[in-house]
Amino acid sequence: MNEVLTLLRPRLIAFLGHKRAAKERGRMMKAFLFGTVGGGFWVGIFLVFFRVLSYFQNVEGFGDILAEKLLSMVLVTFFSLLVFSGILTCLSKLYLSRDLALVHSFPVSHAKVFLARWVESTIDSSWMVLVYALPVFFSYGVVYQQGPFFYANVAMVLVPFCVVASGISVLLVMTAVVLLPASRIRSIFVSLGLLCFVALYVALRLLRPERLVDPDAFSSVVVYLQSLSTPSSPWLPSTWAFDSMRAALKGHHHSALFHNALAASGGASMVFIVTWLAGLVYFPGLSKAQTARVRMTSRGAADKRSGAKRPFGSFSGPVRAFLVKEIKTFFRDQTQWPQILLIAALIAIYLYNFKVLPLEKAPIKTVYLQNLFSFLNMGLAAFVLTAVAARFVFPAVSMEKEAVWIVLAAPVSVGTVLWIKFAIYLIPLLVLSEILVVATNFLLSVTPFMMWLSVTTVFCMVPGVIAMGIGLGAAYPDFQSENPAQSVTSFGGMLFMILCAGFIGGVIIIEAGPVYAVFMAGIRGQDLSAWEWMWLVGSFSLALVLCALAVILPMRFGTRHMLQR
Amino acid sequence: MIEVKGLTKRFGPICAVNHLDLTVARGEIFGFIGPNGAGKTTTIRMMGGIISPTAGSIRIDGIDMQREPQRAKRMIGFIPDRPFLYDKLTGMEFLRFTGDLYSVNGKDLHGRAVQLLRLFSLHEWGDELIESYSHGMKQRLIMAAALLHQPEVIIVDEPMVGLDPRGIKMVKDLFRDLADRGTSIFLSTHTLAVAQDICHRIGVIHKGSLIAMGTTKDLERAAHVEAQDLEAVFLRLTEEGDAR
Repeated sequence: MNEVLTLLRPRLIAFLGHKRAAKERGRMMKAFLFGTVGGGFWVGIFLVFFRVLSYFQNVEGFGDILAEKLLSMVLVTFFSLLVFSGILTCLSKLYLSRDLALVHSFPVSHAKVFLARWVESTIDSSWMVLVYALPVFFSYGVVYQQGPFFYANVAMVLVPFCVVASGISVLLVMTAVVLLPASRIRSIFVSLGLLCFVALYVALRLLRPERLVDPDAFSSVVVYLQSLSTPSSPWLPSTWAFDSMRAALKGHHHSALFHNALAASGGASMVFIVTWLAGLVYFPGLSKAQTARVRMTSRGAADKRSGAKRPFGSFSGPVRAFLVKEIKTFFRDQTQWPQILLIAALIAIYLYNFKVLPLEKAPIKTVYLQNLFSFLNMGLAAFVLTAVAARFVFPAVSMEKEAVWIVLAAPVSVGTVLWIKFAIYLIPLLVLSEILVVATNFLLSVTPFMMWLSVTTVFCMVPGVIAMGIGLGAAYPDFQSENPAQSVTSFGGMLFMILCAGFIGGVIIIEAGPVYAVFMAGIRGQDLSAWEWMWLVGSFSLALVLCALAVILPMRFGTRHMLQR
Repeated sequence: MIEVKGLTKRFGPICAVNHLDLTVARGEIFGFIGPNGAGKTTTIRMMGGIISPTAGSIRIDGIDMQREPQRAKRMIGFIPDRPFLYDKLTGMEFLRFTGDLYSVNGKDLHGRAVQLLRLFSLHEWGDELIESYSHGMKQRLIMAAALLHQPEVIIVDEPMVGLDPRGIKMVKDLFRDLADRGTSIFLSTHTLAVAQDICHRIGVIHKGSLIAMGTTKDLERAAHVEAQDLEAVFLRLTEEGDAR
């Protein structure tokens, strides 16, 4: 056991060292920003659940059933997140990390190396999910006026909950590594992406959340209640935690402890199964993953192929060089593919939500609601774009990794390189945003004015979001990271998200007043007054200036920071 | 061809390079040696335009690196000490990428790329992804890319790291040949035998300052060593530097 702890020590020392460094002034600022944003989310989650649970408590008859159903869904969601996060972390920690060669050269058994890595992986993949799960359980405790037993029970049951999730992840990863050819280890990411996409789609269809708020869809109240109180499968590990928490909420302490013990025995069994299987397949799998890659072509192919027609031939040399490089490296990096699939799933769900909006049942006039949603949808689409940009655009500069010397030594200005990256991401993301807006507008059957407004506003906002991604990504790059996509969780990434939210919110607020005036004038069949015209032109000009500044300032900021390196 | 004046680089309170003055003539091979952490790589990175100096200037054939970085960089073939490349490109694609960056004529590019891949024994690997290359192969590919645009100046950091004996001999012969044809080469190395073997002049950097410069004979005289052994000269000079 000592050897396992010794193997974990570098990570612990680095963590403590990071905490010491956090006392420096600049880092204090970052810690403050992270703390504020993180704390804000934490409080937000608590308040939302507190509000919802309080509302449920006022629903006589089946308020508790609704609260239990919600708890069950939350636990299933957290469990899925833990498994998915665990798969990515385990794959990286156990098979792809740069320090694996060093660690396995130590005079320590492979079993102990595996155990140390698995512990590290379990902590890494679980801590954030746990941190943001706590306000949910806390709100249950507060609303149901629970004492220390409930909180202690939650703390106890969450440990096996995380261990079982991480165990499932590592079992999946070890099996995949044994089954797949060594040269395609990274393709696991693709399989996982597809799996995640299918899981998301199935979960959405099976939940049919729209039916739960539409009692008309059920033949009777009894059927409606039955659909809500359907018990979860006892084979699902989240059910063990759910049963324990539900019993604790009802004050059945013995039952809560029984289910807690059941969860703990499940966790212990998982540790046994995982370590047993790891003894059989981990090291052979790792050795297989280390073997040489299969060659793609026959020998001497580079000699034979003459200069065939080259893509982007009409562009200047440096522009063509970066265009070809960016596109090829992006599509050959299999870790990017599942992310694209996830975005496709996100868009499908986004559009689906608009499709099932029960506008006709609302007490407010439908045409008003349709156009209100359309207006707000501009902001929502821009937020979706921000999320996509955070994953792809912000890390675009960090993706140069340690090969960034090539860019810096090249006879091309840093500014030019950043603008090329801007152009590369602008076109696909502009198309994506416009598709989102136009498709939702069609689903909402909005007025031509609202369609025109949405398309134009999004057209002007997208370059700003992209420029902020590239500019701030250049100002706060991480060229040493094994996975630059994670740089969005850094200080720069956080700053990008905050500034984008401010920018999008600013544009929407500036446009809201005059758009409302135009829309109401249309409904009433009146013309706009001179004052309203001035307001309209002034607001739209201001929004345009804001969009232009959002492009220019971050790009300059990023270029300046890159040059000052 | 290379003119460095008062070159200084500070990282916060640490002075990595302190007021460095040196020149490298056309066709000269200049060796830059020094202990670990002496400031060699920092100097080379400033000369390649990768980091900016805190003070001082670098001129490549009279072009100021600070004022006209693009023009100056166009004349340089830069070879770093660690071969970090774009793993998802093939060797041939990387050469095309470099050729485009340095505006090498499209018609000449393919032929020249194939020629260089052959020279560096990479022609069988030209269409393989760089991620499948060994360390030495990546180092050879970087050298091929640095020579693609026929630079007038080559700045190279630890050229022999990762190369096999045949590769080392080939690179030494290549550098001599390039220098004979007028290319100036500034190379930093820990391999003193290489420096002694191919460099016309050698500079010794220690704790960020240039402590000696000249031919091997000049350095022997400066270090009061008669063994005609650069290692003995190096040890004596850096010991004296430590004592100061």
